[in-house]
Amino acid sequence: MRKATRPQFKTVPVQQAEGMTIAHDMTEIIPGKSKGPAFQRGHKVKAGDICRLMRMGKNNLYVLDLDEATQVHEDDAVFELASALAGPGVEFSGNPSEGKLELRASYSGLFRVDIEALTEFNMIQDVMCASIHTNTVVKKGQSLGATRAIPLVIERTHLDHAVSLAGAAYPILSVGVFNPLKIRLIIVGNEVYNGLIQDRFQDIVEEKVQALGTEVLETHILPDDKERITRQIRDYMAKDTDLIITTGGMSVDPDDVTKEAIEAAGFDEVHYSSAVLPGAMFLLGYTHQTAIMGLPACGLFHRTTIFDLILPRVMAGDRPGKRDLASLCHGGLCLNCKTCTFPNCPFGKSA
Amino acid sequence: MKDLDTLLQGASKAHGHLCPGQVVGVRMAMLGCDLIGLDDPSAMPQIKKIIVYVEMDRCATDAISYVTGVKLGRRSLKFIDNGIMAATFVNLETGKAFRIVSTETARDKAPILKPDIKDSRQQQLEAYKIMDDSDLFTITEVKVDVPASDMPGPTRFKATCTQCGIIIRDKKEVFKNNQVLCRPCAMGSYFKPVKGNNHEKSHKAAV
Repeated sequence: MRKATRPQFKTVPVQQAEGMTIAHDMTEIIPGKSKGPAFQRGHKVKAGDICRLMRMGKNNLYVLDLDEATQVHEDDAVFELASALAGPGVEFSGNPSEGKLELRASYSGLFRVDIEALTEFNMIQDVMCASIHTNTVVKKGQSLGATRAIPLVIERTHLDHAVSLAGAAYPILSVGVFNPLKIRLIIVGNEVYNGLIQDRFQDIVEEKVQALGTEVLETHILPDDKERITRQIRDYMAKDTDLIITTGGMSVDPDDVTKEAIEAAGFDEVHYSSAVLPGAMFLLGYTHQTAIMGLPACGLFHRTTIFDLILPRVMAGDRPGKRDLASLCHGGLCLNCKTCTFPNCPFGKSA
Repeated sequence: MKDLDTLLQGASKAHGHLCPGQVVGVRMAMLGCDLIGLDDPSAMPQIKKIIVYVEMDRCATDAISYVTGVKLGRRSLKFIDNGIMAATFVNLETGKAFRIVSTETARDKAPILKPDIKDSRQQQLEAYKIMDDSDLFTITEVKVDVPASDMPGPTRFKATCTQCGIIIRDKKEVFKNNQVLCRPCAMGSYFKPVKGNNHEKSHKAAV
């Protein structure tokens, strides 16, 4: 059980306060002109401040009686905590407020959390850090989390322990940039190929890819013909393609051959099915240089699917495998809300 | 704060010439400092209290730097490459901050204020000296939360690029494919190395 550390206050004559830390905010009122904080809690009194304090009518001050060898003020402590937690792509304000610092994205990308290390960090007495979920797509400036030293004064040993743990696990919090992948698309379906219906997948895929900062370089529409699909995939692979996306033909209908066509194209790993709805019939595969995603038709109807969970990770350089697709189970059910608020909802937040 | 003429004289000497941009920059800086409550920003102790974000690299930028004493090397001058004739003055102690934008309409008002001057550049230069702040600028009170890694003071953050080994200061590293990289390695650069590494050759020749 955690023990609260009691802040140590003492009263000192203002003339003797140089170098000491003011225990609370001090307001200065200049009649008819201004009213505001002249000195903020945590301010270290300098020689030049003493005259001003006396002009403000202060003869005595409440100061923090810190043993600097063993105790740290919360604002100093949180700066050390934030510095240790904030990996690349994570920044924080230079002005702690009430012992707390907000952690923000310094550029857009995929926010990642080492959850195990962050949990261990939070097991340490008198420190905390809360974050948004790992694998969330974030924009520059977006809030990612916050950290604070809980008491006004924290023991140096606890702070050092927390900083050392975060240093060893660096980076606990990070933002990875999206690679501008070379992406090529195959739209599969007899009905689309024969012009019976208008394809809508191309626009959906292009929009989602563009949102992460890249473009679809090439698109072909093919019938449900295994040989032709395989040939097109191999053609794309020969063209220095980072990611091939196929749409349609992923279900169990006798006409659906996209899965077999992908398997025949020569990928080193192919994982079919994910623990996500919508997106159970999703396929993910890799060679050493090309990834492939087979999108089931649910992507036409549902605004958010497994594709929205896996595409950002692949674009950030991850290589999710079978276990990753399975571990999405907890939180893998989309609630089909009338107004979709993804990513600000439980969908895909398995961790 | 010194008067406009004195500051203008110093600014134009520091910059190399006197121009309407110098007048706009000096007046912008004088107004900005006044708004955030600093009257002697280029000297101690106020020198440590000010940060200015400039949004253009034009004549006015040098004038702002001259009047306020902010410098890139002190980390008190921040360049945001927006191509906008604007600057934001931040008092780090109080948190007060104002963004001042030079108006385009000021140009149209110059002939009204100085009809006797025919040369348009000279006309603007003299008119901007006496134009009301409200005609010359749009002023907005703003909040700027300066990141810890952008603060003046000693280098607090260092990382090493896993690709080229260079030290990256002030949290400017990028995480790409789970690797810490410098920006040139991660995102490309404004330069291309010349084949044959000429500098090394000439250095060896000199030895």
